Amino acid sequence: MNAFQLAWKNISGNAFRNGVVSLCALLLSAFALFTTLVMRGAETSLRLTIDRLGADIVVVPEGSEAKIESALLMGIPARFWMPEENLHKLSAVQGVDVVSPQLYLATLTGAECCSVSDMFMIAYDPGSDFTVQPWLKGEMGNGLRLGEVVGGNYISATDGEQNIQVYGYLVTLKENLEPTGTGLDQTMFLTFDTAYDIASKSKSQAKSTLVIPPDSISAALIKVAPGNDPHAVAIEIMQNVPGVTPIESSDLFQSYRKQMTGLLKSILVILSVTWGLSVVLIGLVFSMAANERRKELGVLRALGATRRFVFQSLLAEASLLAFFGGATGLAVAGLAIFLFRKLIMVSLDIPFLLPSPVSLLVQIGVGLLLALFSVNLAALFPAFKISRQDPAVAMRE
Amino acid sequence: MNKTMGILIIVLALVIAIVPLFTDCLANGRALTTADGRSVPMKCHWTAIAEIGLAVPLALVGVFNLTSKRKETFRTLNLIGVALGALVILFPTVLIGVCMNAAMPCNMIEKPALILSGVLVMGASLIALAGSRNFIEPAAA
Repeated sequence: MNAFQLAWKNISGNAFRNGVVSLCALLLSAFALFTTLVMRGAETSLRLTIDRLGADIVVVPEGSEAKIESALLMGIPARFWMPEENLHKLSAVQGVDVVSPQLYLATLTGAECCSVSDMFMIAYDPGSDFTVQPWLKGEMGNGLRLGEVVGGNYISATDGEQNIQVYGYLVTLKENLEPTGTGLDQTMFLTFDTAYDIASKSKSQAKSTLVIPPDSISAALIKVAPGNDPHAVAIEIMQNVPGVTPIESSDLFQSYRKQMTGLLKSILVILSVTWGLSVVLIGLVFSMAANERRKELGVLRALGATRRFVFQSLLAEASLLAFFGGATGLAVAGLAIFLFRKLIMVSLDIPFLLPSPVSLLVQIGVGLLLALFSVNLAALFPAFKISRQDPAVAMRE
Repeated sequence: MNKTMGILIIVLALVIAIVPLFTDCLANGRALTTADGRSVPMKCHWTAIAEIGLAVPLALVGVFNLTSKRKETFRTLNLIGVALGALVILFPTVLIGVCMNAAMPCNMIEKPALILSGVLVMGASLIALAGSRNFIEPAAA
């Protein structure tokens, strides 16, 4: 009989001790996986959103910085306007390669003329756009025509139809974007022509008119000319174009990043305390078990088992318990995160995207290693102590 | 092992019976309004009611897991547990369903809670089923 077989026999013998150790490993690994997945999921989500935006600088009216972040990240409809003439001023700034305007619109709340309430809509100018169209060309071969739209991952048409009613106007959903875990998943993309057509027809077809102020835009996306520093261009814009705020893509979502950093710090503190307590608890349980089994292990030594064998069998027992507890905890935590991802996003107010299968497997592996390391660390001292005892003394006690 | 799994199944049966009642759209003040002005509960509410019907036999499976002393009884009980766990998952996903809108509370809490509980019930029943193979029946008096 080898050390693992002996450990296996021992495990099936003491339900309470094994239950406590496995539960500690379960909680530890589940909490570690939950923390890592949520924080990494939020970070991936932010990065994907910035990549999809594709602009080096986003220019918005002064005081609208928080609104655009909420709109892009959480899908909260935002409405702000600045004069269209700003586009010419921005084009004239040194280092600016392309400027593309966007209109930010929203459907009505609870109105029959809109299939979806409070849906954020982004209208782009096909003539200058460099963010939505390149993706569309890759996916669909051409741009959007009048009355056609592209939806975020959560946008769906009514059963059996590809039409969505917006201000009483039927638009055709051509394609859905890949998920980002942010508000872009609940956003509809359309061309300026479609937006103006909806606005003109909404006067007669909708409960309330879609108002787009004349000669106004909501934001301007800027691509910096090669060889120019986006930061220097942003400073140039601030100095030359009054009433606007340039946001560099690296500075986008700063408030959410700060919120996530704060959350990460709190979670790390809780994780450290949980880890410390678990190691102490497992250590105590193993010490108690080792004391209970002094005679049994003494007999084992008297029958010829070496100190090394006893030590190995105790650590093998700890490893088996950590493996079963850890694997169960990781499976439950993984499933819970997958099922409750929407609730996590809403309650923590952060974007969230599940990682790729490879990344998930790596994180599960790390969680399992953490459980194995913690339980073995806790069991090390009691196992060492009991394996060093004299068999004759142990059997007499 | 069977006792632990029995207690777990009872706890899960309570979760399955209670959680949907407080997380469906009706409990959150949302209902369909018919043409004549009446308020009608949406289908997530009927899923919640159906789950009570599943939670009762499931709780009994848990209780009998605590009291039974025969290997065959454990085997039958836990096979029923697996079937009930599968039904707990099927009601909100296939058989009745929940509301369409992903942002509704039934989609965010009720459905995931029921799927997770169903998976755990099936897991607990399968573990108890595997454990019953080594169960030693007490000698007859």
